[in-house]
Amino acid sequence: VNPIRNPDLSVKIGNIKLKNPVMVASGTFGFGEEYEDFIDLNQLGAIIPKGISLKPMIGNPPPRIFETEGGIINSIGLQNPGFQDFIENKLPFYKNIKTHLIINFFGNTRREYIQLAKRFDEVPGISGLEMNISCPNVKRGGMVFGSDPKMAYQLVREVRKATKLTLIIKLSPNVTDIAWVAKSVEEGGADAVSLINTFRAMAVNIHSKKPELGNIVGGLSGPAIKPIALRMVWEVSRRVKIPVIGMGGIMKAEDAIEFILVGASAVQIGSANLVNPRTAIEVIDGIEKYLIKNRINHVQELSGLFKP
Amino acid sequence: MALQTDGIVVKNDRIKPFYFLLTIYCPQIANEIETGQFIMLKVSDNHSPILRRPFSVYRSYSVDHPERKKRGCLLILYKKVGKGTQKMTEFKKGRKVNMIGPLGNGFSLPPFPSSPDIILIGGGVGIVSLYSLVQRLGSHELFVFIGGKTKNDILCEKDFKKLIGSKIFIATEDGSLGYKGTVIDLFLSQRKRLGRSKSQYIYSCGPVDMLKELARVVKSKGVVCQVSLEARMGCGFGACWGCVVKTNDPKKPYERVCKEGPVFNLKDIVWE
Repeated sequence: VNPIRNPDLSVKIGNIKLKNPVMVASGTFGFGEEYEDFIDLNQLGAIIPKGISLKPMIGNPPPRIFETEGGIINSIGLQNPGFQDFIENKLPFYKNIKTHLIINFFGNTRREYIQLAKRFDEVPGISGLEMNISCPNVKRGGMVFGSDPKMAYQLVREVRKATKLTLIIKLSPNVTDIAWVAKSVEEGGADAVSLINTFRAMAVNIHSKKPELGNIVGGLSGPAIKPIALRMVWEVSRRVKIPVIGMGGIMKAEDAIEFILVGASAVQIGSANLVNPRTAIEVIDGIEKYLIKNRINHVQELSGLFKP
Repeated sequence: MALQTDGIVVKNDRIKPFYFLLTIYCPQIANEIETGQFIMLKVSDNHSPILRRPFSVYRSYSVDHPERKKRGCLLILYKKVGKGTQKMTEFKKGRKVNMIGPLGNGFSLPPFPSSPDIILIGGGVGIVSLYSLVQRLGSHELFVFIGGKTKNDILCEKDFKKLIGSKIFIATEDGSLGYKGTVIDLFLSQRKRLGRSKSQYIYSCGPVDMLKELARVVKSKGVVCQVSLEARMGCGFGACWGCVVKTNDPKKPYERVCKEGPVFNLKDIVWE
């Protein structure tokens, strides 16, 4: 039997054809330029820069980050320069990069979500939108929309009308039934769902008796949450027909393969980018090697091969 | 340009209780790193701890350094304080250590040909990053204030003593060496007697309480004060925005210690 030399890693999410199923998660990859020294950005399946709001946001007071066993709690608070500054000062960087740019965005109100989707729709060079309805670190908006299936459905329906771009909805794990929310946004017209965002979490300093984070509560990410993320991706994959993008504590190719096996079409690398900027590239290589070893022609064949 | 690369442990010696001197052979970074810049070090091969640790460099030797043994080496002086530095104490000769660097913006030197009095104020292990300035300042006369909790926390004293024309002042909180009190108290008591120049350049690094106190006492014009800040860092290269510090600039209320810093002008920071 001839070994498979060049397995096909490409996947399709909505109208986006990715050269491989590995993207970098919003909030862990800056605006992309921070990683230029370390990796060839062209090799990535897609880049999702830091989340953008209509107006600039200053973020939460420090300390914003705290390390736990196998995890990181952050409370950055979606600090970002806002739509206008992003378009003028960050977007031009992507002109010469040959990979897909997916914009993560969020609003404080329903109107802001719709307005932003409309405005990004008119910007050339953007392949798709990832709508954040799941940030645990801001008071308004964010997770409020993602925790109620009905509200999520209505919001997606309206944003859907505002843009022709591929629309991915990023889901929160801080809900009773994530598959229900996923089903609702599918019905609302989403092209794909990405999950999971971080778990609401906190840590206390027993000497000062104060919280370790300026915002008291933050979001937990990293390998500590991987088993829960995997379970959620499996549950969602069984309930929706649209592609599922899995994430949560992926540190190496084997983790990513687990997510794909239980039904994810693609994956995102998050916290691992901070620790090892080369992670996404290593995951791409690892998936390819796995496919060769297991004589699988196409990564899409892997999706759902899980045998419960 | 920063790079991610493996260095090799040459030596890792305990020099005092809780303090260790780590020598890593890593010519790519040793050749490039500037005074006040830092590196991010992966201290474990697994996720315990998960994040890298930031370290300023005590000494670095270029690849063409006259002493062959030192060429391409970086020296890190660290204190065993937690899980990360505990792991580091276990580093043996020959171990590979993954590093990212050089990172951040370092100290800037007084503009030529001005000749201000140069004052270094270091608290605890903070003095280490100031020592890296010495190589750049040349033969300039220095006033060096070194502070610590006890005499065991006084570092680099001998290094500074070797420098011709520098005056050294030592303060310990328990009085076990030099002046009894904080290094800032000692600086205040000596300040009027220092040097002749009308202008002063102060470089400082140490615990946040020390820097707060410094901000309280250094207000006069004609004083440039650069401080190197410590912060919990996620990545170290500007991607996560986890290490921010509050500034007085309403346009940029939070700046990254790892990217815009770690060296800031004292007056630009909000010391709450």
